[in-house]
Amino acid sequence: MNCGEVKVARHPLVGYLVWALLFGALFAWEGLSLARAGSLPTLSDAFRVIMRYPVGRWALFALWLWAGWHFFVRGWHFLLRA
Amino acid sequence: MLASSLIRQALVPMLAGYLLVMATLGFGLRLLCRPKAGDQHGRGLTAGPAEGPGSAAGSRPNWLALARHVTGTAVGGYLLLMTVVIAYYYGVARVGGDFIKSAFTGTAMLIAIALPLWGAASWLTERRRQRGNDTAGERKAHHP
Repeated sequence: MNCGEVKVARHPLVGYLVWALLFGALFAWEGLSLARAGSLPTLSDAFRVIMRYPVGRWALFALWLWAGWHFFVRGWHFLLRA
Repeated sequence: MLASSLIRQALVPMLAGYLLVMATLGFGLRLLCRPKAGDQHGRGLTAGPAEGPGSAAGSRPNWLALARHVTGTAVGGYLLLMTVVIAYYYGVARVGGDFIKSAFTGTAMLIAIALPLWGAASWLTERRRQRGNDTAGERKAHHP
């Protein structure tokens, strides 16, 4: 480890709770928009609009890469533990 | 100490990322709900046909344009993520464990695995669709 570098803070419970809250809000929005078809745009509607623009496509691809990197590369010890 | 490192390394980036995603989604929703010219109902929630180089139904796809589109998206997304990672490393927390190297090589590896698989799946799907169209055309020609 280089001078000045820090270890990744490990606070799994708080992290999992915050992520659960964020994903819960996302799924709640999707459920609401699917239940009230037509009045609220679904996430796929929003993503379709965002993907019309190059910057939007870059942002979504970067998000996908970041998730993959965290789950399968950075966290491989956890996911691929024998 | 524990609380400050938690806020600095986890909470701030998470909130910043969340706000960025929500801002992007909000921008998309705003565009989606903007009244279109000549739209009697005012709200355009139902999206039109998919846009892109391979979306023309019934026609053969333009593989070169599709490859250019996908390459542009992959390179743009990769560079955007690397910019964010470098900004995080030098601006927020100098995370150890070869953070920068892992970001550059790990995401490149993901792209190198995913893009050829996606390309092969797209090619097979398109080939199957074209075969289906050809078979239907032959049936029509034999039984008008």
